[in-house]
Amino acid sequence: MTQQTWDEVGGVLPHDEFRAASEAIVSNIEHVIEGKTATVRLALAVLLAEGHLLIEDVPGVGKTKLAKALARSIDCSVRRIQFTPDLLPSDVTGVSVYNQETHDFEFRPGAVFANLVVGDEINRASPKTQSALLECMEERQVTVDGVTYQLQTPFMVIATQNPIEMEGTYPLPEAQRDRFTARIAMGYPDPHAELAMLDGHGAVDPLNDLRPVSDADTVRRLIAHVRQVHVADAVKQYAIDLVTATREAPDLRLGASPRATLQLLRTARAVAALEGRDYVLPDDLQVLAVPVMAHRIIPTADAQMARRTTDAIVSELVHRLPLPHDRKRSPYDTRPPAAGNGHGGPYEPRRP
Amino acid sequence: MIAHRNLGLVAAAATLLAAAPLSAIFERWTWLIQATIAVAVVAAVAALTRLGRVPVWGQVLGMLAGLAVALTWLFPSGEELLAVVPTPGTFAHFADLTSSSVEDMRSYGVKVPDTDPLLFVTVLGVGGVAVLVDLLAVGLRRPALTGLPMLAIYSVPVAVYVDSVPPVPFVIGAAGYLWLLVTDNVDRVRRFGRRFTGDGRGVDVWEASPLASAGRRLAVLGVAVAVALPLAVPGMTGGLLDTVGSGTGEGNGRPGQGGPPGRIDLFASLSGQLNEREVVDMVKVTTNEQQPFYLRFGAADRLLESGFRVRNPSGTAANRELSGPEGQPGNGVQRNAYRATVEVTKNLDMPFLPVYSEPVRTEGLNGNWYYDDNLKVVFSNRDTARGKRYAFDYVRTTYTPTALRQAQPLPADHPMRTAGLTQTPDVPEVDALVGGLVRGKRTDYDKVRAIYDYFSLENGFSYNLQTEGGTSDQDIVNFLDTKVGYCQQYSAALAWMVRAAGIPARVAFGFANGTNSGTGTYTLTNRNLHAWTEVYFDGIGWVPFDATPAYGVSGSTRSAWAPDTDAPEEQTPDAGATTSPDEPAAAPTDDRRGPGQEDPASGLPIDAAPPTREAPVWPWWLAGALALIALLAVPALRRLALRRKRSGRSAPVLAGPAFGAAAGDGDTDGQRMVVVADNDRARADAHAAWDELLDTLVDFRVRIDRTETPRVTADRLVRDALRDDSDAAAAARLLGRAEERATYARNPLGGEDLPPALRRVRGALAAQADRRTRLVAAVLPPSVLLRWKTAAADTSSRLVTGYGHTRHRLTRWSPRRLLAGRLAR
Repeated sequence: MTQQTWDEVGGVLPHDEFRAASEAIVSNIEHVIEGKTATVRLALAVLLAEGHLLIEDVPGVGKTKLAKALARSIDCSVRRIQFTPDLLPSDVTGVSVYNQETHDFEFRPGAVFANLVVGDEINRASPKTQSALLECMEERQVTVDGVTYQLQTPFMVIATQNPIEMEGTYPLPEAQRDRFTARIAMGYPDPHAELAMLDGHGAVDPLNDLRPVSDADTVRRLIAHVRQVHVADAVKQYAIDLVTATREAPDLRLGASPRATLQLLRTARAVAALEGRDYVLPDDLQVLAVPVMAHRIIPTADAQMARRTTDAIVSELVHRLPLPHDRKRSPYDTRPPAAGNGHGGPYEPRRP
Repeated sequence: MIAHRNLGLVAAAATLLAAAPLSAIFERWTWLIQATIAVAVVAAVAALTRLGRVPVWGQVLGMLAGLAVALTWLFPSGEELLAVVPTPGTFAHFADLTSSSVEDMRSYGVKVPDTDPLLFVTVLGVGGVAVLVDLLAVGLRRPALTGLPMLAIYSVPVAVYVDSVPPVPFVIGAAGYLWLLVTDNVDRVRRFGRRFTGDGRGVDVWEASPLASAGRRLAVLGVAVAVALPLAVPGMTGGLLDTVGSGTGEGNGRPGQGGPPGRIDLFASLSGQLNEREVVDMVKVTTNEQQPFYLRFGAADRLLESGFRVRNPSGTAANRELSGPEGQPGNGVQRNAYRATVEVTKNLDMPFLPVYSEPVRTEGLNGNWYYDDNLKVVFSNRDTARGKRYAFDYVRTTYTPTALRQAQPLPADHPMRTAGLTQTPDVPEVDALVGGLVRGKRTDYDKVRAIYDYFSLENGFSYNLQTEGGTSDQDIVNFLDTKVGYCQQYSAALAWMVRAAGIPARVAFGFANGTNSGTGTYTLTNRNLHAWTEVYFDGIGWVPFDATPAYGVSGSTRSAWAPDTDAPEEQTPDAGATTSPDEPAAAPTDDRRGPGQEDPASGLPIDAAPPTREAPVWPWWLAGALALIALLAVPALRRLALRRKRSGRSAPVLAGPAFGAAAGDGDTDGQRMVVVADNDRARADAHAAWDELLDTLVDFRVRIDRTETPRVTADRLVRDALRDDSDAAAAARLLGRAEERATYARNPLGGEDLPPALRRVRGALAAQADRRTRLVAAVLPPSVLLRWKTAAADTSSRLVTGYGHTRHRLTRWSPRRLLAGRLAR
């Protein structure tokens, strides 16, 4: 097994090759998931942003299908874990077993030793098992019996969970949720897409016919391409403003973490690259604010009582936060940024 | 109750402060002492009655009684019990004082001496105001209303001074009023208990409320407007600033020329200054006399040290037959009857009517008008000359010097002598001068002529609108020393000196001859106002003499018996010569005046035709309108300049290699040069274009949202405003893209020509907007106004913040902190 370390990514792809490769993946997945281009693109963006994806929706809308389609589109190692209440951490990370032939302990890698890990119904496992993912998701390594094993690149965890059914589930701990770059909802397909689905899925599962259109090496080069997307200072400032706004919002008990800022920008880079741009726009941040930040924040009891979802709170923040207005500051300009960039009062009056 | 008594004391003090303007009326400060006593008694009685919990009406009665006691003590009639308890005799005495105060008011000019009647009225008034103020402020708890009685005190000097009232006493009075208001408010707050600030610290620490700062701002703005507006508006002149600017106050005023037109101070002062700002028509008179003498409306025969003052006239109804001139015509005294019609404009507001002397019959006057046979004036106690039209027949008397010379000296028991018309204040210098002048003259006329001739150019007398100060405390000595003055000084000095020679004399007021329109109609303005001397000759009557240098007075007229002393050919009186009866006795003299007559106000020679001299007003209006238009055009010009600046920088520079953002890839012919501007340049252009677009949106009332990205704004614009115009939509998208690239990308969008796109969008927006929006966008662009408003708000908040920091730092040194700490314990 080739161990690909975290920072080893391929060379930068030319622009059109990037476009072709990414479009191939998207259209391949769309053979299986009809009418969900935005979701699919977001899922791919998370992959290219070297993040992890949490798909949260009601049963039967194709969460697992999306995860598997993404995995199959890329010719790389894929492992699937069905999280059940009796799953053990060693099933996830791996375990050392005694080899009687060599009279030594031998490490048997767990399910996370793959490029793509599909974790189904992640909230059905016990918190103990869920915690096994903490290290590998953030640090991309597994430590068992004092030995640290690096994971491959790309490495992505695609987890699904059901938000409705609470019986016998263990909600993800905050630390675990923070490790997921984005949480997306599938949503019901529109009637045309559903009709096409009936036609396509009527006889045979199209997932079986899905052929890989890319490989791990290509994905690494895609990732390298995404990394060099330009982020202007104003955009960085806007990202910080957004995150600060969640920390200061009166409706929120817990704001977004610095990791959220980082992953917000990374995902924005990927989205920009997927749209064929080599620079990030505040529009990207606005689009990504809800998927990237909504699952990390905790509303206050009052907001919960008012049945305000975190999605609504974040999108409201986005609508209220003014853009940073000083465009290009000289690096030698040491003055504090002018007031009105979201520092003085992050809350403008609500838009009419 | 302590608070009540405090408020009462403050009310009394405020009353006294409000009485400060009276200091402008009285010569001395006796009134203040007496008024203080009266107010103190009133306040003490009020405090006592409140201590006894007497109802409000009882307090009022008590205060009135206290005032009566104080008045009785101050102005005793001699019949009181125990010197303070008034008796019916006391009140009769008070009534006497009141009625005689009316006479005093008429007879004295400011500043008045301490006479009992005037002091009585003053103390009564101030005491009454004190009672009212106490009642309103303490009894009824309506201190704001006390401003009315306080203002009533201030109205006294306003009524007396026609020109301007010294501002300082008013400030003092206003301060008293404010003090009363503040005390009352503090008292109101105290009634709720101790004053706490929000967090319980510092009970008596001064905390500025937001309202207070708003009030301060309003006050500053109000003062600024009040000061700036009169300076900015043409025609609004006068007032405090002028006084400050010129450094000199208004003089006592030549009749009519000092003060505002209309009210004429009939006082022949021996010193002063003449201010004339504008020329107004006062009287239009039509007469069938060829060369009329001065139109006369007043006479002053009370001689004070500072000059001649008008006595209250008394007489019979003017619409009856009048007495006419005394003495008999003939023997050098010639009488001709004429008729004149007078039309008084609204600018002359006097209780006297101008007439030619001496009227024998009037028409068109109602019973309000009386004729004083002695002073020869038509007067009224109820009516004014304003807007009157009337006609009268009059007799013009002319004299030959011979006839005057035949007049006998006045016998010692002549009523003129007994009436005090030959008395003068005792000024040795004048007596010595007069004695020297009349030495060796036998007849009265020769004496008068000697004195009259003394006021000549040869002796150094000259005309000036302002007297010069002298070394003596006597104004007349100063005038005779400096020999500079205007008609008041000349007429008063001549009358004084003639009196000193033992001949009755007085000062007459009226109009010199104005401009003749050719048909015997004269238009008389305030510049024609004049004063001259009249001398009484026994058996002949009052004969006018005008000693003022003729070049100083427009329409000056000289007569055979009083020729111009400065004329080149001195017309010396010939003992035997008699003026021919056919010859007009009163002839205008002094050829030097002529058309180039001196303007008494400016001293500059001006062209002929004085009535056209009024400066036309329309240039001012035009200038004002232009200034207004210029002021209104400033935002539009600013907007225009901004637009020009932003579009002017957009000429793309032919620069080196293309920075990635290839602009010419759409062209297949390859002829087009790839024009890529320097990155920074393109970035700046895109920003300028975007700013311009945003300003345009503001101008056309399209919503601007600071939370929107350029792309979203452009999309919204395309969706909402530019739905029907695909060209403009593309232009808007181009602008949005350029701004987006310029702000967020490595390389800005190059090679695109943004100003046409901008124009396209602007044109589309303008086409959609209604007319009003278009007009406003062109004339008063909201974007500029908004920017200014924001800048003003920013500056204001910065100032407030800075002020707050300073104040915070200063409070470290404030003794109130120590006080607060002590109280907090």
